Amino acid sequence: MFGQTLFNGAVTGVMIALPALAVTLLFGVLKFPNFAVGGMMTVAAYMVFALNAQLGWPLVVAAAASAVLFGGVTIALDHVTFRPLRERGGITLMVASLGLGFILENVARFFYGSAARSFTYELARPFRFFDVRMNREQAIAMLVSAIAMGAMYFLLKRTPIGRAMRAVTDNPLLALARGIESPHVIRCTNFIAGVLLAVAGVLVAMDRALEPPMGSNYLVSVFAAAVLGGLGSPLGAFIGAIIIGVASELSTLAISPNYRIGVPLVVLALILVFRPQGLFGQPYIRR
Amino acid sequence: MISFLILMTTVVCFSAILAAGLNFQWGSGGMVNFGLAGFYSLGAYACALLMLKAGANTFIAAVGAMAIVAALSALVALVTMRVTEEDYFAIVTLGVGEMLRLVSLNEDWLTKGALGLAGIPRPFGDAVAPEHYQYVLLAISLALLAGTVCVLQLIARSPFGRIVRAVREDDVVAATLGKYVLWARVRIFAIGGALIGLAGSLHAFYYQYIDPTQFSYIVIAYAFMAVIAGGRGSNFGVIWGAAFVMVLLEGSRFLKDLIPALDAAQLASLRIIIIGVGLILLLIYRPHGFLREHRLEIDLEREGSRSGERQGQAAAPSL
Repeated sequence: MFGQTLFNGAVTGVMIALPALAVTLLFGVLKFPNFAVGGMMTVAAYMVFALNAQLGWPLVVAAAASAVLFGGVTIALDHVTFRPLRERGGITLMVASLGLGFILENVARFFYGSAARSFTYELARPFRFFDVRMNREQAIAMLVSAIAMGAMYFLLKRTPIGRAMRAVTDNPLLALARGIESPHVIRCTNFIAGVLLAVAGVLVAMDRALEPPMGSNYLVSVFAAAVLGGLGSPLGAFIGAIIIGVASELSTLAISPNYRIGVPLVVLALILVFRPQGLFGQPYIRR
Repeated sequence: MISFLILMTTVVCFSAILAAGLNFQWGSGGMVNFGLAGFYSLGAYACALLMLKAGANTFIAAVGAMAIVAALSALVALVTMRVTEEDYFAIVTLGVGEMLRLVSLNEDWLTKGALGLAGIPRPFGDAVAPEHYQYVLLAISLALLAGTVCVLQLIARSPFGRIVRAVREDDVVAATLGKYVLWARVRIFAIGGALIGLAGSLHAFYYQYIDPTQFSYIVIAYAFMAVIAGGRGSNFGVIWGAAFVMVLLEGSRFLKDLIPALDAAQLASLRIIIIGVGLILLLIYRPHGFLREHRLEIDLEREGSRSGERQGQAAAPSL
């Protein structure tokens, strides 16, 4: 029972990790927490649904196509919504992102209704290691997350655009002085975030159900993971996500599963009071 | 038709009080509240339960609801103890709101869960015939809205009002000038919370029945829209903002005649899409809301009479 809960928590964690990474990358470059990520996950998952269940594409192909497509959508959304507000400060951008989240979730609801749906793919029996049961969705989630994390690590550490993103995250003015074009970096960050959110959307929809509030249900956990790891720190987001996932699942042994969300909330409050910069963030410096 | 207008005006009144609460927290004090729907539901549930379970009368129940929401708000504001960045605070409020929603949905022994609470008593409900009751509630709502705006105007002109705006504009400067920023934030959030609790109580009186679906995130969208449309920081603006949202919502009923193919659920999501798009467009093109000039005139006159000269655009509140 304990082992199983621990394992489920790890799976929840790796699923939170992808959107948390997207949040932290977006925050690093754009300096505001994007509350639209929940709605974005939902819309991306419904895009996959349209290609997979309605057009009959295999799930992997549909997911890959949607991920790339949704990267483009994210760039477009940023261009239309956030670019005109860039100079107005974090609060305005946050409120706009909340509005965008409402719009996206309800666009999905408008076209597909509130009923839960699922993708078309072959179901398989759960595997069993000792006394830990693992179904195929969980295995896929682990594998895909691991690949995505590896790719992100490579991208951020070894490629010019990754270096540029880290430079802008670290010090936008210095990056500008060194000739790094921020519009290009912003476009790339949005594209990567869009891909991550689309992949996360598919994994969540496979694990739970495909329904309009699926993304916003994860919002608190995702932000808690990102803040726990230190907003702006990609490695921190991953480790934060695992901690949040495991802690949430373990809490169900003691308290009602309905209040699972209390765990990320409490973690968030504790972090803010005792270690505001997060586990891996830069120490907080006042102006 | 008259009856419809009376009911709508009542709804606008308590929506305006809700928006005024948000406006004080966010518009004046710079503290975003993304858990608004949860705090609002806490107000409604606290008011209803104080009457149904504890046997309080309507007045005490409403005051109790205000106190409870204010107390929780103050507690939440304490997380800004070390971090004063608004980003983090917004995330915490989002989580608290979600938590409150879950409590109202799952604690069946207290809130009857998804069934909701029915038969909520109303102020003077026994003394007035049901067919005339709408006038009474309208009068109460109007009086409370007027009281709310008066109190907020008084606060805005008081020394505390200046601290509130100073904390919004730049908390470091406020702290440098010897103001205790954390205490100011706790009070800002608690006062806004009390208003949200009051609005929740009126909501319970108006519908006489509450359930968790009434307090979905749609409330947040409407309230933010009302504050943005009315002009952030403007106490009179929220009234027009709330009325504007109401017109927008009631107007969107005609969409059904325009596009008959839409079903009720689609119409509901279309409304939120309209609100969301409107919110973003207002933020981009009308960041000071529709009442910007009006508010500026008041501000300028006050500043002018004090310093003896008009200060022009420099007095425009920054967002």
